[in-house]
This record gives sequence, C-alpha cells and structure tokens, in this order.
Amino acid sequence: MTPRPSLAILIVLAVALAVVGAGPAPAAEKTLAIGLLGPLSGGAASYGVELQRGAEMRADEINKAGGLKIGGDVYKIKLVAYDHKAQAADAATATNKLVFQDKVKYIIGNAVGATCNAAQTITEPNKVMFSFVCWGTANLAPEKPYSFRSMLSQWELAEPFYRWVKENHPRVKRVAVISPNDTSGKDTNTAVVKALKALAFEVTADEYYERGTKDFYPVLTKLLAQKPDMIDVAAAPAGEAGLILKQAMELGFKGAKGWTAGTNPFTIIGVAGREAAEGVWSPANINVKSEHVNSAVRKFGEAYEKRYGEVPGVIAVANFAAFDVFTQAMQRAGSVETDRVLEVLTKERFETVWGPLVIGGKETYGIDRQFLYPLVISEVREGKIVDLTQVLPAALKKK
Amino acid sequence: MALGLTLIFSILDIINFAHGEFYMLGGYVTYYAFAVFGVNYFLTLGLAVLVVGGAGVLAERVVFRHLRGKTLNAFIVSLGLLWVLQASAQLSFGVLDKSVPSAVSGIVRVFGLVISRERLVVIVTACALITALYLFLKFARTGQAMRAVAQDPDAAALQGINIEAVSALGFGVGCALAGAAGALLAPVFAVSPTMGALPVVKAFIIIIVGGMGSLPGAVLGGLLLGAVEGIGTLFMTSAAVNMLGFLVVIAILLVRPRGLLGVA
Repeated sequence: MTPRPSLAILIVLAVALAVVGAGPAPAAEKTLAIGLLGPLSGGAASYGVELQRGAEMRADEINKAGGLKIGGDVYKIKLVAYDHKAQAADAATATNKLVFQDKVKYIIGNAVGATCNAAQTITEPNKVMFSFVCWGTANLAPEKPYSFRSMLSQWELAEPFYRWVKENHPRVKRVAVISPNDTSGKDTNTAVVKALKALAFEVTADEYYERGTKDFYPVLTKLLAQKPDMIDVAAAPAGEAGLILKQAMELGFKGAKGWTAGTNPFTIIGVAGREAAEGVWSPANINVKSEHVNSAVRKFGEAYEKRYGEVPGVIAVANFAAFDVFTQAMQRAGSVETDRVLEVLTKERFETVWGPLVIGGKETYGIDRQFLYPLVISEVREGKIVDLTQVLPAALKKK
Repeated sequence: MALGLTLIFSILDIINFAHGEFYMLGGYVTYYAFAVFGVNYFLTLGLAVLVVGGAGVLAERVVFRHLRGKTLNAFIVSLGLLWVLQASAQLSFGVLDKSVPSAVSGIVRVFGLVISRERLVVIVTACALITALYLFLKFARTGQAMRAVAQDPDAAALQGINIEAVSALGFGVGCALAGAAGALLAPVFAVSPTMGALPVVKAFIIIIVGGMGSLPGAVLGGLLLGAVEGIGTLFMTSAAVNMLGFLVVIAILLVRPRGLLGVA
C-alpha cells in the first residue's frame, strides 16, 4: 500500500512554495569559464605573464563585486590558462583542451602570431570568441569574424613611428630590422620594411633568428657589416631583444635603437642592462605612469604594481581592457551565446580604460576587428621610460 | 657542457637528457650569489661547481644508481628528471628571464676582431677547465679509476676500485662541468628555467660528432659545430644554419659511425 502524505504536510509545503514564489526569483549562481592562452614560459614569457595578470585583475574585480550578472543569472568567472611556449603545435593542443575539454566559449588573451593562426583553426569553426595581442597580419580577416586584436599591431605602429624618426632624427637613414623566424616576426618585418621604404629609408638588413637563440654574435656580425644607423629589434620579445642590443653594443654598435614591438621597455632594461638599453625608442608601449595616459590606466597601473611588484606594459592593459569589453558585451546581450555577444560588440559603444572603445582596421584587414587607441613613442633614459610624444594611428584618425 | 655529458656517458653509460637542467642550476646559483647577494664572481663560479656537482652526486645516488646497465630506462628517467627540474625552477624562480650583470665589462680588439672581455673570460676559463679535467683523468688516482671504470667496469672492480663511489663522482664531475658552463654564461646571456634546452641539443650534436665518450672528441666536435654555425650564418638563414648542424651529424655518422674520435 502506498503511504499517503498527511494533509498538514501538504499544507506546509503549499505555503512554503507560495512564499517562495511570491518574491522575485533569486539569480542562479553559475561559473563562466574563460580561457587564456599564452607563452607562460620561455623567451616570450613576459607576454604571457602580462596577459594572464591583466585578465586576472579584471576577473577578480568582477568576482569580488559579486559576479557577472547576465540575464537572470550571476556568473563567477573562472580563468583557465594554458602555456603554449610560443609554439603553434602547443597552441593548437591547448586550444583543443579549452574548447572541447573545458568547454569555454571565450578565449581572452593570446600572443605570438603563429600560435594565433593555430588557435583560430579551432576557435572560428566552433564560434569561440577570441581576443589576442598577436601580430600576425592574417590573424584578422573577414573569414575570422570571432577574432579581435586588443593591442595595436605593426600595421598601426610602424608608419607613424618611422615618420617620427624621420622628422626628429634625420641622421638615421640606414635601418637594419631583426625579428624571430616565425609568423609574428615575418609579418612585423614586412610592415616595418614597407613603412621604411615608403618613408625613403634604406633597409640594410631584413634579418631573422630562431626563437630561443641566446648567442647573436654570428647574425649581428653579418648585420653590423652593413653599417646601419639604427637597429630595430622589431618583433623580438624582451628576453631576446635585450640580448641582441647587449651583444650589438659589445660588437661596437653605437647607433640608434628601436623596438617596434616594445610592449614593456622596463623588461628590456632588465635583460640588456641600462647601458645597452639606453636610448631605445618604442612606439608600442604604454607608460602607465605617464601624463599621456588617462586616470583609469594610471589607476590600473598602480593596482597592478601593488599586486605583482612590477610595472605593467601595454599587453597587461590591453588584455584587461579586452576582458572588460567582452564581459560588458555579455551583460548587454543578456546572454553568453557568442553570436549575440558579437552583434552587441560590433554595434554598440563601450567605455574602457583606453576611453571610448574604437574598433577599426577594415582598410588593412578587410574587417573591423582591431582595437584602436593613441600610441605613445617612448625612450629609455638612464634606466627609466620617458614618453616623447603621442601619435594617432592612421586608422584612428579616420574614425 | 658537452664534456660533462660525454664523461657521464663514458663512465655510467647514461644518456643524460637532464644535463641542460644542471647547466640551468649553475645559472641560478650565479644569479642569486653574484647578482642578488653580491658574492665575488669567481667565488660564485666555484660555488656553482660545488652546488651543481653535489646535485649531480645526489641524482646519481637517488636515481641513476638503480638503473646501472639499463640504458633505455635511464634515458627515460633522465627525460622525466628534465621536466621535474624545469618545472621546479619555474615554480621556484619564476618564468621570466633574469639578468646577471657583467663581471668584467668592455671589449678587446685583436687584428680587427672584436670580442667582449666577458666572453674572453668564458673562453679562458673553459680552456682551463678542459686542461684541469684532462690532467685529473690522466694523472690523478681517482681520475685513472674513472677511466678504468669507463673502459671495463668488471675489470676495474676486480682491481679493487669502488665502482659505486667512482660512478657517483663521475656523475658529479659531469654535472659540475655543466654548472660551470651555466655560471660562466649567466652574465653573457640571461638566466631562465628553459635556458638549458638549446645548449643540451647542441651538446648532443657535439658529442655525437666527436664520438660518444671521447673527451678530445667533445672538444673537436664543439670547435667544428661552432665554426659551421658561425660561418654558415654569414651565408644562410638562421633556420638553414640550424639544419646544417644536423646535416653535419648525418654526414659524419654515415662516413664514420662512431664519430670523429670515438672508439668502437
């Protein structure tokens, strides 16, 4: 015989349900896993570390504020980061793990162009939103609508940088360019060489080295034999760029030094030493202590330095901004579905640490997926970073 | 570094893939002793040799002693040790490159050839270490015992040589040489957990070209690879030069399978 619940129990249950149903339904707390890729070890580790820290800072802010309210749900952010050591094969493996094992729909953060290409073979067909600071030209394209670059690339930086060199340092006429032998390096040298030729500089060397190289004497011997007025360690990461400049100085080079991809000149001082790093110009960096940046960037820089004991470079700021923009777009879309978020992201205006977000790049890449902001040309002087001038990229001027 | 690798192979018959990590350890000893605590550079060099040599003896006693005669097992274990040491370094020291200031600065010009004093110190010290190792193995009683073990461990044991002690010492000396290389090159390059990855590959090329287990072969192989890479860079791309090193290995092994100075 089936036991029957007593009338009293049924009444209590009914009252309880009525009480619960009378008020607004509480938001269900869920977890939103957001992926991050990067070279977290090896010669390009400084990029990955900044990416991770920038994302961590925004994720922690969101979680401490109670989570991300999207529609009727509240999401706690869980950051899932994998190291690909700047290797494309490792990046493909890591992206597969993020997409199919961790089930992420957003990967906010990656660096090194070849690894972005590898990751995009998985993110694009699976409609995973992907934001990165990679410098591969092909990383943004009409057939890659879910991909965004959150930092200015060589195509936005090289021309205004070398225009400034020409106008302010007319003695520089012969320039040697050296980068790692991969997609980032090749694309960066291509953009730099194109800008140099357009501005009537003489390119004495368009040189490449294998990532992980420590001894640059052989390649520098060849490069310096052409007697350049300036060496641009274009897409070299800090660890390798520092060694190139240090060893060039040992071999007697006394000319001008540029670092088109100089995302954090503080790091190059650490590796090259103050003497070899002295005078390095960089158009890619953002000095978070400078008068050229707004109060939001300065505030971010102070919080970052307090937390990690280091001054952040542009990559940390860019990934913090990207994390902020993507999560804002999810809230406005009222959904974590990437198609709905993509629609909001490309149609609405967003406030970021950079100020109002501008997304452009259609003239260069065939699609507007490039975050745009003013660039600041800086110089290393006596172990410090001195901002020289602020310049608008051509694409931003048109906006 | 290649000398240490070939010494370990000749005495223990172990292909130590973790040799680059002992080189890395020498780099970190230098970073902390010299750059952080301000110990004299040449004292630091001695300290690196002792610390890394000690770590080598420990690795032999704890791990490799139990794998004597099992070359394949030891090879796999050395790969595991590589990852353990590299990951431990990443967790302990961080992933970013650490710069070690130059102990001696400035450059020297000889007939138009420019070389930094820092590299000159490396060359002179490396030559001194090679000579010291040669004299030790040739004339010192312990060195002769090492050679005896390398030639025939059973016969050496019958002569009263303590095989276990000599093996531990041989592994320690091999690792100490890697530590010395790490300490010498720390100010020239930067220090990082993965700094041993590329040098160990080159060290393997060198000892294969020179002949596995041959100390003069390691010296000759090093000079040959250095010349090939240095001159090759003037005419080829960096990728082609890297390939050239392996082509030299293939060519030499086809003509002389035991390497230039290796014995059958």
